[in-house]
Amino acid sequence: MHLIQFLLFGGLFLISFYVYRKFKSSVVDILIIFFLLIIGMVFVAFPSLTNKLAHAIGVGRGADMVFYLFIIFFSFVILKLYARIRKLEQLVHTVFREKSISEAKTGKKDKEPSTD
Amino acid sequence: MHSNIYIVIPVYNERESIKHVVDSLLLHQYSVIVVDDGSTDRSIEIIQTLPVYYLQHAVNLGQGAAIQTGISFALLNQAEYIVTFDADGQHVVADIETLLTPLLNKEADIVFGSRFIAGSFTNISFGRKVALNIARLINYLFTGLLLSDAHNGLRAMNKTAAAIIRIREQGMAHASELLLEVKRNKLRFCEAPVSILYTDYSKKKGQPAINGFKIFFDLLFNKLFK
Repeated sequence: MHLIQFLLFGGLFLISFYVYRKFKSSVVDILIIFFLLIIGMVFVAFPSLTNKLAHAIGVGRGADMVFYLFIIFFSFVILKLYARIRKLEQLVHTVFREKSISEAKTGKKDKEPSTD
Repeated sequence: MHSNIYIVIPVYNERESIKHVVDSLLLHQYSVIVVDDGSTDRSIEIIQTLPVYYLQHAVNLGQGAAIQTGISFALLNQAEYIVTFDADGQHVVADIETLLTPLLNKEADIVFGSRFIAGSFTNISFGRKVALNIARLINYLFTGLLLSDAHNGLRAMNKTAAAIIRIREQGMAHASELLLEVKRNKLRFCEAPVSILYTDYSKKKGQPAINGFKIFFDLLFNKLFK
């Protein structure tokens, strides 16, 4: 066992524990966390496995394959988060809009705004 | 006379120009809605003294958001026609009649002002003209509609169009989003000549051409995420 493997194991456990504490809402969630933890541990314990997998799909090194997959994965995550932010922005705007409409006023002359 | 015609003016830090712009509109007896988009220069103090409807966003949300607020409020007030008008004094009030004509004749649901068709006047700089030409081509790519002008703040719509159109782009990309909405909802549209008078003030207040990149990406994300 190399030092890096201990560090990676530690990281995997910490993340899994954190996710479990935060999102322990259903059995399915816990199973998914457990499944991902096992996969992570297998690849950390047997690094040559990633090399074999990489060769099988036409990538030179296991580390490169993991890197490529992460680029795809994080691109997807960023786009999803961006979409979520836009949705939230629109929600915030709707709230501010409705507030400003309900508080509409008229300037010095006699017109009364009707907001109903 | 013109009371069912509502002029929506989005305002962000326009303390210097807003009174003059509103006064010129009131001379023509239009109903005016001023939306103060979280100005930090206390524009509201000036607006409060004017015989207009005024609404205030608690924070700055962007011109698109302010216009949508004004349109929603105008519809609540039984507006027949809604015109968007910039607060920096670069539009000419007489052009509103030109914009309204196709609406009153039931030839269009929305009319876009253009500074580049016969009958208009503009003292635009060469650089801005080039930027606007690029912008209209980008609009064409995204929307399939090729107009002679892009990002002209003066436009008019009837209440049908106003009720259908939903501006979600809070920033300047709303101008292009309007075209998307027109296309998507199969609204009848046309262009009408309007004059744009660039003054030192309006140039200072106007957006730099570099904002074009931001608008481009906003549009891209608008397409991607709806």
